[in-house]
Amino acid sequence: MSVFRGDSWAREAQHRKRRVNDLIEVGLNHGGGSSSNYKKLSSGKYACLVCPHNPILDTPLSCSLYMHMKGSRHCAAESKLKEREHLAQSEMNQKRALSHNSTATTNIGTSARVCMSASRPLIGRTHKIASEILCSDIPKQYTADETEDVKVGGNSTNEILTYNNCSCVEMKLSAEEVVQQQLDIQERRERELKFTEAGWKRDCHGGWFRDENVEFDSDEEDPNVTFMISKKNHVTL
Amino acid sequence: MFLYSLTLQQATGVVCAINGSFSGGKSQEIVVARGKSLDLLRPDDAGKLQTLLSVDAFASIRSLAHFRLTGANKDYIVVGSDSGRIVILEYNKEKNTFEKIHQETFGKSGCRRIVPGQYLAIDPKGRAVMIGACEKQKLVYVLNRDTSARLTISSPLEAHKSHTVTYSIAGVDCGFDNPIFAAIELDYSEADQDSTGQSANEAQKHLTFYELDLGLNHVSRKWSEQVDNAANMLVTVPGGGDGPSGVLVCAENFVIYKNQGHPDVRAVIPRRPDLPATRGVLIVSAAMHKQKSMFFFLLQTEYGDIFKVTLDHDNDRVSELRIKYFDTIPVTSALCVLKSGFLFAASEFGNHALYQFQAIGDDPDVESSSSTLMETDEGFQPVFFQPRGLKNLVRIDQVDSLMPIMDMKVTNLFEEETPQIFTLCGRGPRSSLRILRPGLAISEMAVSQLPGVPSAVWTVKKNVNDEFDAYIVVSFANATLVLSIGETVEEVSDSGFLDTTPSLAVSLIGDDSLMQVHPSGIRHIREDGRINEWRTPGKRTIVKVGSNRLQVVIALSGGELIYFEVDMTGQLMEVDKHEMSGDVACLDIAPVPEGRQRSRFLAVGSYDNTIRILSLDPDDCMQILSLQSVSSPPESLLFLEVQASIGGEDGADHPASLFLNSGLQSGVLFRTVVDMVTGQLSDARSRFLGLRAPKLFSVMVRGRRAMLCLSSRPWLGYIHQGQFLLTPLSYETLEYAASFSSDQCAEGVVSVAGDALRVFTIERLGETFNETAIPLRYTPRKFVLQPKRKLLVIIESDQGAFSAEEREAARKECFEAAGMGENGKVEQMENGGDDEDKDDPLSDEQYGYPKTESDKWASCIRVLDPKTTETTCLLELQDNEAAFSICTVNFHDKEYGTLLAVGTAKSLQFWPKRSFSAGYIHIYRFLKDGRSLELLHKTPVDGIPLALCQFQGRLLAGIGPVLRLYDLGKKRLLRKCENKLFPNTITTIHTYRDRIYVGDIQEDLASRATVVLSLVSTTALCYSDHKPAMSFHYCKYRRDENQLYIFADDSVPRWLTAAYHIDFDTMAGADKFGNIYFVRLPQDVSDEIEEDPTGGKIKWEQGRLNGAPNKVDEIVQFHVGDVVTCLQKAALIPGGGECIIYGTVMGSLGALLAFTSRDDVDFFAHLEMHMRQEHPPLCGRDHMAFRSAYFPVKDVIDGDLCEQFPTLPLDLQRKIADELDRTPAEILKKLEEVRNKIV
Repeated sequence: MSVFRGDSWAREAQHRKRRVNDLIEVGLNHGGGSSSNYKKLSSGKYACLVCPHNPILDTPLSCSLYMHMKGSRHCAAESKLKEREHLAQSEMNQKRALSHNSTATTNIGTSARVCMSASRPLIGRTHKIASEILCSDIPKQYTADETEDVKVGGNSTNEILTYNNCSCVEMKLSAEEVVQQQLDIQERRERELKFTEAGWKRDCHGGWFRDENVEFDSDEEDPNVTFMISKKNHVTL
Repeated sequence: MFLYSLTLQQATGVVCAINGSFSGGKSQEIVVARGKSLDLLRPDDAGKLQTLLSVDAFASIRSLAHFRLTGANKDYIVVGSDSGRIVILEYNKEKNTFEKIHQETFGKSGCRRIVPGQYLAIDPKGRAVMIGACEKQKLVYVLNRDTSARLTISSPLEAHKSHTVTYSIAGVDCGFDNPIFAAIELDYSEADQDSTGQSANEAQKHLTFYELDLGLNHVSRKWSEQVDNAANMLVTVPGGGDGPSGVLVCAENFVIYKNQGHPDVRAVIPRRPDLPATRGVLIVSAAMHKQKSMFFFLLQTEYGDIFKVTLDHDNDRVSELRIKYFDTIPVTSALCVLKSGFLFAASEFGNHALYQFQAIGDDPDVESSSSTLMETDEGFQPVFFQPRGLKNLVRIDQVDSLMPIMDMKVTNLFEEETPQIFTLCGRGPRSSLRILRPGLAISEMAVSQLPGVPSAVWTVKKNVNDEFDAYIVVSFANATLVLSIGETVEEVSDSGFLDTTPSLAVSLIGDDSLMQVHPSGIRHIREDGRINEWRTPGKRTIVKVGSNRLQVVIALSGGELIYFEVDMTGQLMEVDKHEMSGDVACLDIAPVPEGRQRSRFLAVGSYDNTIRILSLDPDDCMQILSLQSVSSPPESLLFLEVQASIGGEDGADHPASLFLNSGLQSGVLFRTVVDMVTGQLSDARSRFLGLRAPKLFSVMVRGRRAMLCLSSRPWLGYIHQGQFLLTPLSYETLEYAASFSSDQCAEGVVSVAGDALRVFTIERLGETFNETAIPLRYTPRKFVLQPKRKLLVIIESDQGAFSAEEREAARKECFEAAGMGENGKVEQMENGGDDEDKDDPLSDEQYGYPKTESDKWASCIRVLDPKTTETTCLLELQDNEAAFSICTVNFHDKEYGTLLAVGTAKSLQFWPKRSFSAGYIHIYRFLKDGRSLELLHKTPVDGIPLALCQFQGRLLAGIGPVLRLYDLGKKRLLRKCENKLFPNTITTIHTYRDRIYVGDIQEDLASRATVVLSLVSTTALCYSDHKPAMSFHYCKYRRDENQLYIFADDSVPRWLTAAYHIDFDTMAGADKFGNIYFVRLPQDVSDEIEEDPTGGKIKWEQGRLNGAPNKVDEIVQFHVGDVVTCLQKAALIPGGGECIIYGTVMGSLGALLAFTSRDDVDFFAHLEMHMRQEHPPLCGRDHMAFRSAYFPVKDVIDGDLCEQFPTLPLDLQRKIADELDRTPAEILKKLEEVRNKIV
């Protein structure tokens, strides 16, 4: 066979070498360290990941990587690493155990959470504000409630009771009512979006004012009025 | 994404045209350049223009010239293109191709300022050619012939002059003296230096003569003289004994004769009386006609009037120049006077026409002359004329042209099998709405009712040598009707046919006898009236028949075949019988080959889904030669023989071959090649034709056998320019057909459908679409569909035109002055542009609109019912307003339902600076079921609304660089939200869900109008004094903040002319340089945008240099070579893949189909690569460079190039096929398949 054609012993030898390397690599994985201990670089060289200075080793052959892994510095580094991992693991377990505890309490039920929040006034207030932001429906009713406490009946009583007396009456709310409430919230949100779309903006008191860059029709609905009316309707229900 | 680009309809506009004798001898042909393709046309004997050859040159052809070497009898074609090369072509009559004789490189490719290609001039004696650039460079090549009479070309001689702009060049006829070329030039070197602008104002045009010294082989400036500053064109005047030599200089209002050492002879061009005094008259095209004793010129003005110019001369002294009104035809880009007495007018816009000369303008008419030229204090005294009807010319044919396509929509409004393409075409009075349907046009010759519902029809000749058919035989369920063809078609009873029974086949048998096959036997009618009757044995009936001129095979019920032959005495003799395994579904016998006694092949289709080929040779009679199984039972079989051809006028190089076609019950046409020797079937192809099983018939088309397939619509399979094409006919469903030939109709088809007999002919072979045109009043801009009511709403606007009322008043005045009645003109005006076939002495279509000042606009909104072609409502806009954008909008929570929004501009002017006095958005309400419009209100806006679009129940408007959201108010539109961050002018808006896709251009306004006007081949000089901008902007509207955010844009500046929304992240766009490109938002960016719950990111993120934070990727890029004005995604065939359809200014339609498999991409990419290497384009422009003219082509395979594969010589085809590991037939099949996916 012609040497110039390129299929001479040289290529074969190269193949053989590569194969030997592969086998040694397998041996390394099975024997001494795991494959995560070193990394094969794109250049074909190997980098040790255990030793802090990440030495680069030419071949996996006995003279370099394999030997390095048996070296005292590598062994010391390895044991140090293991120790550190173990520490981290135990800490993680500890935290997990703690958080498990807390989730267990939340699993008890909504009423329990409400009750718990009652025992923690600050958290309770935060919940309130959050729900106020999320569904701007409730807080206004709530503020109104303080004055018109007596007249109120139906659903809103339940709410007030929940908030004020911290009793667990909320449980009694039927699923339907919850859905209805959700729908109301959505509808209200949709209507608010309509007003923002139409160019109304909100001031810091929750009132509505017109964006000066936007044009309005002469008989355009005023959200201040609309929401006032709807609120009244809602309240007199 | 990989796309396959295919031109569905070649460009129909014409950039330049020349006439000469390119095939040699006496024949006269026309070569036209349609942007990037070169066509050869010839008027046939009937006066119809036939396209002999059409070649895609993959270059922008800018100029054409022809020359003839002294003593030769054939013209050569010189092509100036953007390839940086001069190419000389010869038409090869035998092979029907253009052959490249010479290709000389002189500069860079592309349309550039100083690289020649824009102008060509020929020495009238064919000794030299000059090729010029817009500036500076001119090269002269000496043409000669070598000892073996082949054309030779010299190396180029320079005639450059720097800092000059060239306006026109022409060869000067000076007999056999040294060749001279004339040029109109303007020296701008001083103007360039002088910043005050004074010398720019004083710049002077010169007429320069360049002499080619053949002895010294050198070009020198021989003579230069000042010429009128408005000079724009040169026309060669015959010399060397035939005339005085020199040139005609066409300038504004004047034609001047000039020659070296000769005083100017000047005459004024007559004007129309209604032309404003500020407007000049320019000559736009010219033709010279020379006979032995005389010569004259036809010059056409920009208003369409043709003048005949003659010179009175005494040897080389010109004493008088006369300009006489000749006729008026639509404005042309080229005029060709043929020696055979025809005038080909290649229209600038709209249909081209072929005229015949009735006279050469010898009758007295308005004439201006140099001898009567009067100069007064106010200048030269004008001469006026009134345009009149055609007197010297008569139109005998026209060629459809869609140029320019302004807008297009593909939809199935008529609920036909395939969608229709609605295109807005043309300009000014020649504008039209054209409805294109895939398929060939037919013209119906006759329709007559029959007494019952016929089942079949045949035509027969009495003698094999007869030219025309003698009888039409119609079979009914229980009778047969015989009609004789003469002056009229009438029923006869003495034909000898049995009329009390249905017929199965009727044909001519032997040389002069007729045969009727009916269920119970065969009736053989001899020429002398003797009748032989063959009866079926027992109670069996004949079910199927196959026959040719000498052989008959019948199939009896139960599956027995009986074979008859005509013997020497003309007797029909039974030869053999054969029992098939089951009933026979269909039969056919191949035609008798030339010089043979019988055909060898019988094809039999059976209900067991097989087709068998049986031998009819006496040696192995009724032996099965081959068997082909098919997907469903065959219904009809037809052998189609293709005769051997070595090119010629309408065929490429191919050997004789025999095809077996079968129509299957599933509606598929199955086509295989039959080996002429062994009868083996190979190379099977199938195509779905329609819901009914195709019935196949053989008809004659242009003297060749073709195949008519009748499925749910008729199809025609024929050979055109060497390619087998299968195209639908635009006609209703037919039951049965036969070819028909009489002295009124040489090549027709007679068919039955329902209870009617129809005779029709097939027209315009080779075209993909046929069209129905509806005239419009002004240049159409855009249109919208009202899908519910199937109406179109079109906006039209024209600059410098009078509105309809003003024109009507002027016309009345004019008619009163002329003393003519004006009957029913009002009605015609209402229908928009006048129907040209009407006997209107002054139709606008022909004569154009009277012109007015350039800031005057006429515009209208039209509601049109395309089904009845009736305009149901037409609103003329008042107060000099012009409509530019339109959309339908459905405001939420509002009472009116669907409304129409129209964006207009008032008193718009482009020159000297773009200005307008106001912009408006009109809101109209639909009345009377959408057939009428009523204005609700109009809202003034601070720019021109060039783009409108509905968005979430509101109206989005692009007003200059501002994107604005409007809601409907009581008295006006209410501005609700806006974004001013767009760089220039918003031209397109598309919306999808909460995203808004905005297209922005750099160029000012009405890009289309300016693109259309600045036109075509010369995408030439792109001025780059603009700041860069981005083409597409992706925006999002946030309801909770009432804000519009731009979250992504393109990184490349584009001059957008069309855009289309492909999917959520992808947009397709086209720019004015002829590129189509797709951009896509990267998937991760898109996800990020969609998943941003607070919207904070989109709000606060900022890009660099005022751009958007994210950039879209360009995923597809392709140079079409023509300005794309509209894009749409649609499937043109039922069940076909959706593709992007585009329309261009030059009137071509193309499609981009997405590949579905990687294998196909690889195959076509390799085929394209081999085609590029083996078959370089005609004009010397590198194919890859052409498709990458502005941006490198990306992921698009050029189907037009791939489809040139069959035009290659066979050995080259085989070579390419070998390299692709396939056979040429497989490649052809693949090409056919991909084409069939599109149309």
